[in-house]
This record gives sequence, C-alpha cells and structure tokens, in this order.
Amino acid sequence: MKTASTHTAMALFLGFTIPAGLELSWLQNARTELEAASESTSEVAIASVSEDQYCSAHLKRVLRRVAGACGLINDGGRGCKPTDAKSVAAVSGDDFNTLFRPLSHRASIIQFDANEVMLDESAKQLVENAWSAQRGASFFFVVSRASQDGGAKKNQELSRLRAGAVLEHLTTKFDDPDIKNQVGLLWLGEEFAQLGTEFCSWNRSREDDCTQKEINRSAFVAWIDCAI
Amino acid sequence: MTSQFENEPLDVAATVPDAQTPVTVVRFLYTAAACAILGAIFAAISSADFISHLDRQVHSIHCSVLPGAGATIGESGCRTAMMSPYSSLFRTAIWGGLPISLLALAVYSYMSVRIFLSARRKQVTRTETGFLVVGSALPFLMSIIYGTISVVEVGAICSVCAAIYVVSLVMFVAVILAHRNTERRPNVFSQKSAYTTWFLQGCAYVIGIVLVYFMFAPQSDKVMEGCGKLVRTKARKGVLIPYIENKAGTPAITVLDPLCPACRAFENRLEISGMQKRLNLSVLLFPLDSSCNWMVDQALHPGACAVSEAILCAPGQIDEIMTWAFSKQEELMDIAKKDEKKLRALLKESFPKTKACLGTSKVRSRLNKSLRWAVSNAIPVLTPQLFIRDKRVCDEDTDLGLEYTLAQMLSAGGQK
Repeated sequence: MKTASTHTAMALFLGFTIPAGLELSWLQNARTELEAASESTSEVAIASVSEDQYCSAHLKRVLRRVAGACGLINDGGRGCKPTDAKSVAAVSGDDFNTLFRPLSHRASIIQFDANEVMLDESAKQLVENAWSAQRGASFFFVVSRASQDGGAKKNQELSRLRAGAVLEHLTTKFDDPDIKNQVGLLWLGEEFAQLGTEFCSWNRSREDDCTQKEINRSAFVAWIDCAI
Repeated sequence: MTSQFENEPLDVAATVPDAQTPVTVVRFLYTAAACAILGAIFAAISSADFISHLDRQVHSIHCSVLPGAGATIGESGCRTAMMSPYSSLFRTAIWGGLPISLLALAVYSYMSVRIFLSARRKQVTRTETGFLVVGSALPFLMSIIYGTISVVEVGAICSVCAAIYVVSLVMFVAVILAHRNTERRPNVFSQKSAYTTWFLQGCAYVIGIVLVYFMFAPQSDKVMEGCGKLVRTKARKGVLIPYIENKAGTPAITVLDPLCPACRAFENRLEISGMQKRLNLSVLLFPLDSSCNWMVDQALHPGACAVSEAILCAPGQIDEIMTWAFSKQEELMDIAKKDEKKLRALLKESFPKTKACLGTSKVRSRLNKSLRWAVSNAIPVLTPQLFIRDKRVCDEDTDLGLEYTLAQMLSAGGQK
C-alpha cells in the first residue's frame, strides 16, 4: 500500500517537475539572451536630409557662402545682386554654371518674355512642381538672369524682379512658413554666369525655340540636395 | 494486469476481488494518455517558442507538427497567433503576459499522469473515469474557444495549436468511451473527496507552473526608458493627423506607412489590446516608397506615397482610408508597381474627396513636411513606430510586450 502511494506521488512529482524544469530552462535562456541583446534599431538608418553625389566640397563651399551671404531671405527678403554674387561665389561665371550642371535632373528654367517679370501659366506650374519636388533637399535656389539686351542696370533690375516673382508665387501658392528659411535668391543680371544654349535641353517652362537670349531671360530654380 | 500503481490510497480504496478493468477501457485510457502526452509536447513547443521571445528579439517559430520539421522565421499562422493578444493572459502585468500554452502544458501534464495512473490500476472505477471526463472537458472546451478565436478574431490557424485541438478532442472522446465501458460498482469511498483531491492536484500543477513563470520571467528596464526621444514634439498643422481623438488620453504619435504589412499588424494589435482608448493618437505618415521618400533606396511599398497623399487630402477620412489600404495592401502595391496612375485613379474613385487634391504640388509638399518632421526628430527609417508623449516605444516592445509597455509608460507619466 505504501509502495503504491509512493509511486503515485512519484508519478505526480515527475509529471510536474519535467514541464516545470523545461519552463525554468527556457526562462533562463531568455534571460541570458535578453541581457546579451543589443538595441534593435542600432543598425537602422536615421531619417536625414539628402546628400547627393554631386555635392562636391567645392559646390558646398559655394552654396554655403551664397546661402549665408545672399539669403536665405531672412527678415525681409534679402538676396544677392551680381557684384555680390561674383565676390561671394568667388568663382568665374563659367565655373559657377559648371557647379550647377549636375543638377540637370532637379533644376527647372523658368522663362520670361523680353522686358517682362510676370510668370505665365506654364511658368507658374513649373515653379510649383519644382517646389513640391523638395524630397530631402534643404535649400531652394532661385538664380535669375537677363539677356544682354539693354543696359546692365536695367537688366539687374529685371533679374531681381524675376527672382522676386518666383518667390512671390511660392509664397502665395503654398503659404509655407518654411519658404523664408529655405529659399535663396540670386539675381545675376547680364553680368555674371550667363547660360549657354546647352541649357536649352534642360527642363524649361517653354517648349518653343531657345536662343541664348531667351535662355537667359529666366530664373533657374532648383532644390539642392546637399547638407550645407 | 497488476501494477505497483493499483490500490493507490490517495485515489480510491474500493476493489472487488478478482474483478479487472475491461481491456477496452484500458485501451481507451491508454489512447487518452497518449493524447495527453502529445498535448503536453505540443504545448511545450508553443511555450518554448513564446518564452524564447521574452528576450525581445525575433526568433523562429515551430509551425509544423511533423517530426523533424524545423522552426521558421517568416510570417506564419503560428507567429500571427502567438503575437495576438489571445496567446497570453495578464499582458499588462508582465511583459508578454502568461502564455496560455503554459497553462495547457500544466493541464496536459497533469492529465497524462492522472490518466496513466487510472490505466495502470487493476480495477478502474467510474469515479475515476468520471473525473477524467471532467478533466478532459477543460482542454477540449478551451480548444473550441481558442479554435473559434483563431478563425474569427485572429484570422490565422496555428498548426501546433490545431494539433492541440485535435488531441484534446481525441482525449475527450477516449475518456468518455472509457467511462461508458467502465462497470458500475457500489461506491465505497467518497466521490467528493476523491474529486477534491484530484482537482487540487491539478490546480497545484497549474499554480506551480504559473509561479515559476512569474518568478523567473526576465524583465527589462528598457521598457520604461523607451528607445529614443522626440526633439520636436510640436509640428506644423497637417503634419500630425489626428487618428484617435481622445482629449483625456495621453498624447501619442504613431509613425505609419499605409501599405506596410507590419503597420497593419501593429494597428491590429493596438486595437485588440484596448490601449487605444487611453491614447490621444496622431499619425505621422512615413511612406517607405522612394517616389517621395528620399531616405529609402527603392520603393519598399510602391504606392505608399499616393495613399499617404490621399490621407492628407482627406484627413477626416483617415480611418476609412487606412482601413481600406490595410485590407488591400498587396493588391494596391501590385497596381502601383505596374502603373501608379491607376492606383491614383482608384483612390480618387474610392474617396471622391481626394479628387481635386491628389497628386497636386500642394499635397506633395505637405507629405514632404511629414517626412521632414521625421528628419528634424532624427527618428529611425522604419515603420511602425510609436511615441508616447515624446518617448519612443522600443520596436521589440510593439508586439508581445505592447500592452505591458503601454501600461507601464502610461502609468509612469500619469495618464493625462
């Protein structure tokens, strides 16, 4: 009788200790693994602004100087006029344009009629598209020019108003407080970094013929994918 | 057939000279014992899988009952079932909760011993088989309940769980047949006292297993600390879209991609957990689609930008659009992969309010603001993410440990 009772107790004991022992060993393993585990997101990328391949040290230096000295348009719309641009960029006109060549897929050229500063419908549409294609870029540059028809002073004023027209349209259309922190304006008149006809193949607001004069009656707009 | 287990004084003392348990009863009892052992083995497999996840890492899960079949790491019915809130109890009291499979392990282990002891007896009585019927009814009833939950609520069948359901059924049938074939003899002992003893033994198994779990389950301080903080909790209008508006709730932000399967699963877990009620939840749209998100090299979820734009176009319909997108994720991604314009047309057709807005420069710009808010807070490029106030819930706490983590974080800061 006593043996039978002992065996029953032993069966009950074994029936409990086997699963309990297994449970304990699983829990101990989990504890060991938990203590050894690293943070799961340690290898995950962190959200950041873009830094495209074209962001050479040279380009970034120029951009930094331009962004610092010519705007961003803090407190009332600051920008750079041709003489400033030359000295701030500290490069020749051709070199200045060369720096921006890698932006062909990002930039748009907003064209104006001769002696005009108003954006036509296709120009407005292109400005809006360019602005909304910000992606990870931090700065939006508006570099306006004028053809070499007329006097330098008049062309300087024309290009200033063209840059202003782009800014005005952005402000009206998007009502975005970031505009004042992200848009940099340069008006180059006819004096600095005139565009060559090779820029006619870029994304333009007009599809008609494109001469050197026409391509320079323009505002070059682009988001810059460089962390400057 | 005699054995050292017969006439166990704890059970019953009554025997009739020369009477033996019929062979058929013994066979039924051994069948039931085999089922109980199988049930214990399957419950042990499930429990081991569950407990391995207490280290907050991703592990493979055994999702086949075939001998020699290995564990798999990918999505499976077993993973879905394990991650569902029905897989464990007391989820707000302990990280991951107490796995149901562990209770099953205790019950099946006890039933194995109890049935085996009866089968080995020279003269099994109806009192014993009656108890076995009652004892087997518990796992059988639980199997019915959990099987129904699997199909109706979780929407996934776990093969190991299904195996448990089957063995519980066979065990139940076997003990009923054993009981029916057991001869009636005069009761010379107290049925009530035997039932009480056996019941208490069963309870001791369950309580013992539960105590071991509560005493030794690993805990981590990371739960309270979170995994990072928001630098800028404030956002421009339209960046954080109100999702669950509950002014009395704690401010929370979830970073979602409407076409991300993990977001769908997370959203589902959050809803079932019931913790949503305690949150004032906003959504930050973070589509993992390179057509608008420069932080990913490729469109992990093609079409996610378009769906996100639709939500921004009709923020009042966020719940509707999210539900629609979550329910058609694969289909929508397939459409977008072939031609995103078709997806946009479908969105406009399904949600007419988005017609004038979808694809415009304004809404694209707004979506960009959402992504840039993520940049300004330097959050990881992944979805889903959950922030309680400014504290980021660790990714490893968003599945099994979700309820516990939220309960701790909400009570730590004092619910608003």
